[in-house]
Amino acid sequence: MPGEMAIDLTHVAKTYKGKVHALRGIDMRIHKGEVFGLLGPNGAGKSTLVKILMTVIRPTRCEGTMLGHSVGHKPTLGRVGYLPEHHRFPDYLTGEQVVDYYGAMCNVPRRDRRAKTGELLELVGMGEWAKKKLGGYSKGMRQRVGIAQALVNDPELVLLDEPTDGVDPVGRRDIRAILARMKDEGRTVFLNSHLLSELEMVCDRVAILVQGLVRAQGTIDELTVNKRRYEIELAGHDAAAAGPHFTRVLSSVGLGEWKGQDPPAGWAGAKRLASGHAFRIESGTLHVQTAEAGEIQHIIDAIRRESLDIRSIRPFRPSLEDLFMEAVTDPTTGKTLLPGAASNAKGGRP
Amino acid sequence: MIGQTYAMLVDAYRELNAKKLFWITMLLSGLVVAVLALVGIDKQGMTFAWFRLGFVPVNTDIVPRDVFYKGIFTNLGIGIWLTWVAAILALVSTAGIFPQLITGGSIETVLSKPIGRVRLFLTKYAMGLLFVTLQVGVFTIGSFIVIGIRGGAWEPGLFLAIPIVVVFFSYLFCVCALLGLVTRSTVAALLLTGLFWFMLFVLNAGDAMLVSFRESTRYVMEAHEERIELAERNTVRLLRTERENAGESVEGYQPTRQEIEDRNPFLAGLYTSLEEDKDDLESLEKWARLVFIVKTALPKTGETTALLERHLIDPDDITPPEAEDSNPAADLQGDVEVDQDDLNARIQEVFRARSVGWVLGTSLAFEAVVLLLCCLIFRRRDF
Repeated sequence: MPGEMAIDLTHVAKTYKGKVHALRGIDMRIHKGEVFGLLGPNGAGKSTLVKILMTVIRPTRCEGTMLGHSVGHKPTLGRVGYLPEHHRFPDYLTGEQVVDYYGAMCNVPRRDRRAKTGELLELVGMGEWAKKKLGGYSKGMRQRVGIAQALVNDPELVLLDEPTDGVDPVGRRDIRAILARMKDEGRTVFLNSHLLSELEMVCDRVAILVQGLVRAQGTIDELTVNKRRYEIELAGHDAAAAGPHFTRVLSSVGLGEWKGQDPPAGWAGAKRLASGHAFRIESGTLHVQTAEAGEIQHIIDAIRRESLDIRSIRPFRPSLEDLFMEAVTDPTTGKTLLPGAASNAKGGRP
Repeated sequence: MIGQTYAMLVDAYRELNAKKLFWITMLLSGLVVAVLALVGIDKQGMTFAWFRLGFVPVNTDIVPRDVFYKGIFTNLGIGIWLTWVAAILALVSTAGIFPQLITGGSIETVLSKPIGRVRLFLTKYAMGLLFVTLQVGVFTIGSFIVIGIRGGAWEPGLFLAIPIVVVFFSYLFCVCALLGLVTRSTVAALLLTGLFWFMLFVLNAGDAMLVSFRESTRYVMEAHEERIELAERNTVRLLRTERENAGESVEGYQPTRQEIEDRNPFLAGLYTSLEEDKDDLESLEKWARLVFIVKTALPKTGETTALLERHLIDPDDITPPEAEDSNPAADLQGDVEVDQDDLNARIQEVFRARSVGWVLGTSLAFEAVVLLLCCLIFRRRDF
């Protein structure tokens, strides 16, 4: 159902011994049927959050639901698939036995397990290895079996913690295909990963977690809407000469003033066009804050009127990596925030 | 719920099956049963395979054939093999169950399933006992057949060994589980459990020693009391005779204690010995009581396994070799000659007087407390 939440969290906090604030009040919503990516630097609290959802860690504070039940409701876990990071499935089990065992632990009837085990191992490309013991598997093969066991209970929600860890490029492509299939089947997928390019390819929405707080959350379009821009370069002019030309051109189209307003985020020091868009001239290139091509047409006309040649006009959309780097950078100092959770109450709100 | 438990049972079996030590222990158990089968007894004495062991002074006149085999089964099979060697091997095999369960990457895979933590812990605990259950089960079945064929006694009571040995092992395994949860280390859990077991052994040995000393002292004290009584009686008779010989009336004559002591110089020494015995006994009783209280709070490994012997062997079935009658009070001088069989019987009586309820009840109460602690830790811990 559109709008229905698979995970709806409010004020999730976790403080470990020694007043280490791993999570400092997480608010997060994940819609049913979407692929949601959680990213953040090491020690940001991503795994802690996933472990709280899976009842491996007890939260200090947690309000919210998972699949309509309070977080920590054990029977709900029967409707959830989970692949932990750095998982260790017993070496004495075969791939088939791993899937069967964890299926049984999820209360999947034996007949269903038998039917699904082979099918899932085929899905993850491990059909031929089904009867071989995990002791002889590579890391990537274990990861594939791990994904198979996470799906054995036909879960509505699948939490995958670093699913492509140790997997080769072919395996990653296969896993992306599996994720796409899960989405098509209507499952909600919660991905926890460092691999930003992977997440960008598959996620509908993302959240960036830094030092136990959600710094940004939404679709990539939503997160980048104010950060998109057009970049215009002139031909035949070096950086020093291009600047005055752009100043003249923009004066002719009309400049505005901020009038007490702050420039948009990421546009500190930028000037304002009469149309309300921010702009700046950097290294002989004009940057105009807009995602719409129509909104720079009058600037192009003005450049042509000045008989200047345009070398290039490029729309720029920040990548997930750009968003990530911005989120982990202290806006006041410009330095990257230290990895890890806050170790005392000074780190932010408790 | 049943499906989960069954899956964990199958998993525990697969884990055991993957352990070489499990099969080595099983093989060794088979060998011990084979040795039991090779031992024989007849009117001439004991045999091993086709060799006659003439130096062992035991035959079917002293010990009936079935009691002989049951004795070997309880004293060697259970008393040494299962409760020492196999128990150590079982501890080595199972000490890693909980440290491995709570290892990062492993614990998440099970805690994330719809199963309560307490149930998960207790099921894993029960599966840990599966190792020793299978070992003792195989050993007991083998011994049952051997005793049936060789001893001529098809004794179903033998199968009591299975719960008894499993209960005995569970005393150690619960401590091992607690230590495994706390330290997260198999080696630390194993070594500390070994230390705990050694402490129990020392306590048991201390208890046995104190009971032995106490009973021995009591025995000597009773002998001294008998000697004193006899000496006093003889001295009174002597004093009366002397008085009669001197022509004095003995009608209503009762010599004073001082007169008796003056007449018999040995009595003073006997009185002193008796006082010393009483002091010793008082001190020994105090220490024995203290050790008994400490033992009450702890698992009773020795007494638990001895329950099987209590059940299987009636001491009256064993005819002790003929011994010369001795009266500890016969000689008024010199040290009391202790009848070792009599003393051993008394000591055995003390241990047999300790009820099954006390042995098992207090031990299982200890185990319940340890398991409760384990459950609290396992339930509250973040992994």
